Amino acid sequence: MARKTPKKRLLGLFGDFDQAINVIVDIRHYEVPGVSVDNITIKSPIEHPEIEEILGERPCHVSKFSLSGALFGLIFGAFFLAAAQANFLIQPQGGKPVITLTSNLVLMYEMMILFGVLATFVGFLVGSGLMHRRSILDDQMISLDQVGIVIEVEDENIDPVRRLFKKHNVLEIRDREIREQ
Amino acid sequence: MAEETTTIAAKDIDEKIAWAKINSDVLRSMENPRMGYWLAIGVSIAMLMVGIYSEVYQYNTGMGPANLNNPHMWDLYISTFVFWIGMSHSGTLLSAILHLFHADWRKPIYRFAEAMTTFSLMTALIFPIIHLGRVWNMHWVIPYYSDRGIWPNFRSPLVWDAFAITAYLTASVLFLYIGMIPDLAICRDNAVGWRRRLYTFMSIGWRGDDRQWRNFRKTYLLMACFLIPLAVSVHSIVAADFAMAIMPGWHVTSFPPYFVAGALYSGCAAIITLFVLLRYFFKFEQYMTLPILEKTCKLTFAIAMVWSYLNLIEFASVWYGHDIPAKEVLIAKFSGPYSPFFLGMLFCGSVLPFTLAFKKIRRSPWLLLPISIFLNVGMWLERYMIVAPTLSLSHHPWTWDVMWPGWVEWGIVFGSFGWFGLLFLIFVKVFPSVSMYEVKEMVYHRRRVIFEDAELRAHEVKTGASGAQPLTSTPEGS
Amino acid sequence: MSLVRNFIEDWSRYRRSINEGGFHEYEHMWGMVIDLDKCTGCNACSVACYAENNLAVVGEEKFESGQGMHWLRVERYWDEPNIGNERVRDTQEHGGSFMPMMCQQCNSATCEPVCPVAAAYHTPDGLNAQIYNRCVGSRYCANNCPYRLRYFNFYSYYEDSWPSPLDMQLNPDITVRDKGVMEKCTFCVQRIRSAKNTAKMENREVADGDFQTACQQTCPTTAIVFGDLLDHDSEVHKLWHKFQTKLGTTKQKKDNPELRGYRLYEQLNTEPSVTYLERVRDV
Repeated sequence: MARKTPKKRLLGLFGDFDQAINVIVDIRHYEVPGVSVDNITIKSPIEHPEIEEILGERPCHVSKFSLSGALFGLIFGAFFLAAAQANFLIQPQGGKPVITLTSNLVLMYEMMILFGVLATFVGFLVGSGLMHRRSILDDQMISLDQVGIVIEVEDENIDPVRRLFKKHNVLEIRDREIREQ
Repeated sequence: MAEETTTIAAKDIDEKIAWAKINSDVLRSMENPRMGYWLAIGVSIAMLMVGIYSEVYQYNTGMGPANLNNPHMWDLYISTFVFWIGMSHSGTLLSAILHLFHADWRKPIYRFAEAMTTFSLMTALIFPIIHLGRVWNMHWVIPYYSDRGIWPNFRSPLVWDAFAITAYLTASVLFLYIGMIPDLAICRDNAVGWRRRLYTFMSIGWRGDDRQWRNFRKTYLLMACFLIPLAVSVHSIVAADFAMAIMPGWHVTSFPPYFVAGALYSGCAAIITLFVLLRYFFKFEQYMTLPILEKTCKLTFAIAMVWSYLNLIEFASVWYGHDIPAKEVLIAKFSGPYSPFFLGMLFCGSVLPFTLAFKKIRRSPWLLLPISIFLNVGMWLERYMIVAPTLSLSHHPWTWDVMWPGWVEWGIVFGSFGWFGLLFLIFVKVFPSVSMYEVKEMVYHRRRVIFEDAELRAHEVKTGASGAQPLTSTPEGS
Repeated sequence: MSLVRNFIEDWSRYRRSINEGGFHEYEHMWGMVIDLDKCTGCNACSVACYAENNLAVVGEEKFESGQGMHWLRVERYWDEPNIGNERVRDTQEHGGSFMPMMCQQCNSATCEPVCPVAAAYHTPDGLNAQIYNRCVGSRYCANNCPYRLRYFNFYSYYEDSWPSPLDMQLNPDITVRDKGVMEKCTFCVQRIRSAKNTAKMENREVADGDFQTACQQTCPTTAIVFGDLLDHDSEVHKLWHKFQTKLGTTKQKKDNPELRGYRLYEQLNTEPSVTYLERVRDV
């Protein structure tokens, strides 16, 4: 691949969530050319469901994991239990069928939930990009009470973004070059 | 945003708390254990040692010293198992339900409640294992492939137990852990030494990205959705241990809901106990506030009434069902040698909760501490009263007998409290027992509500509209 | 493939057992008749059982606390007016009655489905077997037995039950059980096995009277009759037929009120294989 124009990541720390929102609103209104909302990451100490309205809908695949995990658990449970029971040579017990659907339903239910939960957890790890190497552009204050905005920008756009940040009372700005693999 | 416009009647939390103070308060609670803490740890270990000694003795001798005998094949072990399983229900179940209902007041208290769930489940897990006559063969209950074509018996409610507890333990540990990840990241940023390594590992790279939060929110919701039916099914299955048997007094259709209600009840009472203790020892007065305590008490009261109702239903259905052995057991519970325990259970379980109807009592933590402990004593007696009288007075009159548990049983039950206490004590010093990020959310929303209220009031002054008008119906909206 | 075949065979067997009450695809169906009017309560059967099946003698103290191992126990009941009457001693003439109780070998046993490891098992002989090796000692089976006829090894009884040289009299055909194992009457399964083996060597079917259970052998009044219910020439079958005792029912209906014969707790639908000959009276 041909080397593209050098890119940088910019981190701006804000004391208030509303200021951070305003920055993004400005970017949305194309105040800085060449920077789109899709390249923005917000780092916040608490959950802000309302940023969806500004950042736009971004995909979240956890529920697909849950569904497939639960279905897998249900079907696997049914076949596993039936196979185990049909295979169980000494099993004939007085007055009861060999493959007992009613009691298997209980176990299938438990297995459905168990696998659903495990798949949800895996989906969470995959979907939220956890267990990756630590990114350098980070600040301890984000886990306390500040909101960070990380923007990927080309070199020529750095100064407009910095100006935009400053307009909204940024507390601190850091940048870092993106190294291509 | 609909959530913010709901008016909050009592102030659950002071909106003026600085976020930095939340962090420092909770983090402070995790460090520099005082003398009392080490003392508590020592007591727990001593209790645990009693339990371990009893179990070792029982392992070598057999089940005899537990005073089990022919009609009484199960006793304290199973009733205490049900007790601990019951305790484990409130944390996760309440946390999940209240999460779905957006009950914000759960936020400062759910962490320790969930921890309590996990640890009482770990305690409960011990009992079905050590009540086995041949503990060393317990893995035979697990379905694994064997060349001889032998599997566990999937019809046995004990195998259902094994499945259900495995699923529940996995799910509640994950639920606790996922809810804790943002807090672990906070701990990571503020810790040094082994703690930093531990939290770095456990927070698995949480940075608070919007992507992470988005997935987190979804995951947490899904986990809650999985956990509610799971928790209900787990205790129903524990009830099935009894209800599937044909013994009089056990073979009752209403057992599963009765057990679930009892589980919630004892769990709520345990939450109150731990609430009061944590609030005092960790000085969490600002987070575990009295309005929250009051709400918990109201919830406990409601569940207590459900439990009492199901109790009555059980009596009535036995009485009018006219199944003679079952009736015999019921009469014996009221008037036989077990009557002090049974009446004690009715008093602690159905009469004592009426104290929670008084606002004064709901708001005085030091009165609630003994009350909640006695509620749990009542719930423990309930489980004992389910197991023992039926075995004493089963179908065959020749085997009717009354027994008193042996020292080994008491030792192991005593030890289980030490085990639970030890786990919980370690937890509160290693992990944040109040959810920091969610308390921040609470404060944040509270500030917004105050802000919106002020706006509303300004709006009223301007237009002269009545105060009852909700914000969302104003023409401009947001 | 064998898996599917297994499944289909089992299923059809199950369907048939539902349609025809009391149907079981058994090779034999060992059953028993106990004539309570003949029983004198001498307890010889119980002693014979102890000797035959290596039952541990637990000592007075443990027996008192209910940890005895009597697979066959003779229960004594008293007519209600005589209870507490000092003048009337414990004698049968004054309203006492006896009931030898051993495992009823139920055809739909309550102990079997609840065992978590399938150690309680139904043999093709219609016996309700306990697999000692497989037992983990959860004791659920004993809790679910309405007759309370399962006994648990609460201690390692063998250690002091047979001080040397008494251990030389142990029956070599049957194991000595260690602690933590559930056990119960087997209808002297070791005798059944050896009789079957002999019959097989002699190339014939097991005939009635080839063997006796220990209790039957010892009973001085021949109150206990044991045999194959499927064998129409057997004493047991004749007695069951004579007294109109039927399988697959929860209440025995008799043409003639003089006919005796009932099974214990039939209303629980456990289908026991033991019939007690005694008229059921309303008290």
